[in-house]
Amino acid sequence: MSQVKRRLATILSILSGILLSSCGDGKSSAEKFAEERILLIGNNSEPQSLDPHKATAVADGKIISCLLEGLVRPDPKKDGAVLPGTAERWQHNEDATEWIFYLRKDAEWSDGRPVRAQDFAYAYRRMLHPQFGGKYAEMLYPILGAEAYNKGECSWDSVGVQAEDAHTLRLKLSGPTPHLLQLMLHFTWSPIPEHHVEANGGMLDRRSRWAQQDNWVGNGAYIPQQHHFNNFLSVIPNPHYYRRSELQNSGIRFLPIVNGYTETRMYFGGKLHISNNVPPEMIAYAAERAPQDFCRDPYYCTIFYRMNTTRPPLNDARVREALSLAIDRETLVQKVVRNAGTPAYGFTPPGAGFNPVAPEAASMTQAQRLAKAKQLLAEAGYAEGKGFPTLELMTTSRDVQRIMAETIQAMWAESLGIHVEIRSCEWTAYKAAQQSMNYDLSSSSWSGDYLDAATFVELWRGGGGNNNTGWSNSQFDAQLAAAAATGDTQQRMQHLQEAEQIMLREHPIIPLYYSERTYLRSSRHVRGWQPRLLDNFPLDAVEVAP
Amino acid sequence: MTNTPYQQGNSLWDDAKKRLLRNKTAMASLYFLIFMVLACFVLPLLPCIANPNMTNLDNIAAPCSWAHPFGTDQLGRDLLARVLYGGRISLLVGLVATLVALVIGLVYGLISGYVGGRTDSLMMRTVDVLFALPFIVLVIVFSLSIEEPSRELTDWVIENTGWSREAVAPILGLVPLFIAIGALGWLTLARIVRTQTLEIKAQEYIQAARSLGLGHLRILFRHIAPNLMGTVVVYTTLAVPGIMLTESTLSFIGLGVKAPNSSWGTLIKEGADRMEVTPELLLFPALFFCLTLLALNFLGDGLRDAIDPKSAKD
Repeated sequence: MSQVKRRLATILSILSGILLSSCGDGKSSAEKFAEERILLIGNNSEPQSLDPHKATAVADGKIISCLLEGLVRPDPKKDGAVLPGTAERWQHNEDATEWIFYLRKDAEWSDGRPVRAQDFAYAYRRMLHPQFGGKYAEMLYPILGAEAYNKGECSWDSVGVQAEDAHTLRLKLSGPTPHLLQLMLHFTWSPIPEHHVEANGGMLDRRSRWAQQDNWVGNGAYIPQQHHFNNFLSVIPNPHYYRRSELQNSGIRFLPIVNGYTETRMYFGGKLHISNNVPPEMIAYAAERAPQDFCRDPYYCTIFYRMNTTRPPLNDARVREALSLAIDRETLVQKVVRNAGTPAYGFTPPGAGFNPVAPEAASMTQAQRLAKAKQLLAEAGYAEGKGFPTLELMTTSRDVQRIMAETIQAMWAESLGIHVEIRSCEWTAYKAAQQSMNYDLSSSSWSGDYLDAATFVELWRGGGGNNNTGWSNSQFDAQLAAAAATGDTQQRMQHLQEAEQIMLREHPIIPLYYSERTYLRSSRHVRGWQPRLLDNFPLDAVEVAP
Repeated sequence: MTNTPYQQGNSLWDDAKKRLLRNKTAMASLYFLIFMVLACFVLPLLPCIANPNMTNLDNIAAPCSWAHPFGTDQLGRDLLARVLYGGRISLLVGLVATLVALVIGLVYGLISGYVGGRTDSLMMRTVDVLFALPFIVLVIVFSLSIEEPSRELTDWVIENTGWSREAVAPILGLVPLFIAIGALGWLTLARIVRTQTLEIKAQEYIQAARSLGLGHLRILFRHIAPNLMGTVVVYTTLAVPGIMLTESTLSFIGLGVKAPNSSWGTLIKEGADRMEVTPELLLFPALFFCLTLLALNFLGDGLRDAIDPKSAKD
């Protein structure tokens, strides 16, 4: 008996030790870090890579945007406006097919070397190199000859990138691109330090260590400081950054928290200044507990399911359409997403000049959709789901995606008699499976990289790095090419809308809803934060107040 | 002439039974476990228990009521039904995986202890090596690698028996888990069995059996194994909670039970996520899980006291 007591006493003393030490001086970490002016921000997932030519996830992009600066940078005062970045000025010809950027003389890499126009040319070449396999290479396709070079059809000399001297970069474009500066806000247009990459395995070494946190050289506002896997990645101001005195904080910690429930709890526990996502079920709770801090912003983002069109039975467009029609999106958005979005029947969110003809399904009642779905499934040879193989629906371990998957699983089982199995993967495994197309159905989301419909429509280009459905259509690609070739905005939109129609008719994806962004931002500690449609607010402009 | 009444001697098992019956905590735990098993395996057969996977988006996170005694979850599914069906899976994993571990551990330990010499050293060093590897990681790797064959097995069973997928999939889908946990959870048992075997092997009755010319197998399974049973029963009872915990850990990180089916582990995870909003989603499954684990532990303690009185006085 006495031993039991002794054990109990030990346990209690250990427990109280933990509790006491975590209390410290009674300040939460949000308060402590605010005093040091370090921003704590939830960042969804562990970054795959800090190399701008390998990263594809939104979370990676947020960090890279702090570490590298392109020719232009986003204006913290106005959504969609650009300010001079590494380029101090630029000019273009009349139809915006040829641009000259003049780089500032005082821009330096974090090792003290000057940033040269050649570094930009080197970066663009690396991203587009056919042997490098950059997943985001399409972002640079507006450059003349970029697509052909990326596909190995021509040499680099015929691509329209030219460093005339160390501070002059000339870009020739494949078509009139008045919105080029908008595109350039994306991290894929960043330079990389040629001297440093060459010293670390060279241009084509995909395993190069140049972008490791402890070996980093960049030209952005920050440099990486520490990286504790699954805990945080911290950045501190880059001593060689030309605008160093303008930074509003003295560092940022990115916390990779996949689970929105955990993140919201951490926010209320004083561990974050800005969270990434409040899951639908906690919206009411968060809005009530912290009405000042809860944010609900419009967001340029679509939630959808990718389908692997190379695998039977999903190689049959009728089956794909049936699956899409059988989902009751209104109920889904209302009950599961709790209205933090609107039902989607097309892929590209309307707005920004893009006003597509609504697909036929949008105007039907759910009963009509169901009837059509059943008929299509019967035509494909699976009347009432008979003989339909068990498909696997892959989701990340994010809870919103999981409960959405369970809802849709039940909808398909009930209305079509189809059984799908849910495979919930950790983020990196999910990404890898999606990119190698080792899935049947994949719960996905796409948020715009720039404020233009092309960022959505171009995703489905045949063989595109983020397509990952195996779907391609030459008519679709032709419409994209026509859109890129025209200088007339209206005509361009027409082509994009036409392309979207072609894609939607063949159903490589199931659009679900256009998402809003729900998150928490400390009204006490955070100043200067503004909502952005692309969620790309420059973090160096976020002031942290104690 | 008076007959002296024939007195039957008490066997060791009778003594143990008596001691167990006197132990109130252990008996209460035993009754509770029987009740829990009945509740999880028999109760869901009654029509008053709802389909645990039937979503009802018009009745999300409803509070307790007559129709839904524990309320409903985030997709409007009846929580009572989910807890009971979840209990089926958790208890089944606990039992089946323990049995797998038991069989492997028993045979391994018996052989190692009985054969002795180099074989013994080799087998025990193998156990040492396996002990050094992180258990959870190994289970994950193992269960992932046998996932594909097990899915084929499920399809084969459905095709050849005509049973509905809904009835078969939740159980057969767990086969990788059973095998993975069982196939790696036998290490401690093997060691215990080996030590006991070494001890028993040196006893006179084994020498007697050997001198009578009995075969090795007969000696092993007729004379040694039965004498190990006390230790093995105790260890097994105490191992079940550990294995149920492993299952819930794996389900917690998404490797155990596949949605929409539930186990106590997944239910607790889902509940824990939403505990500010709907605490009852955490409360009920956690209560069932904790009580069952406690009962198993108490019963194991009681059995140990009853079967092996020497070890109780620590």
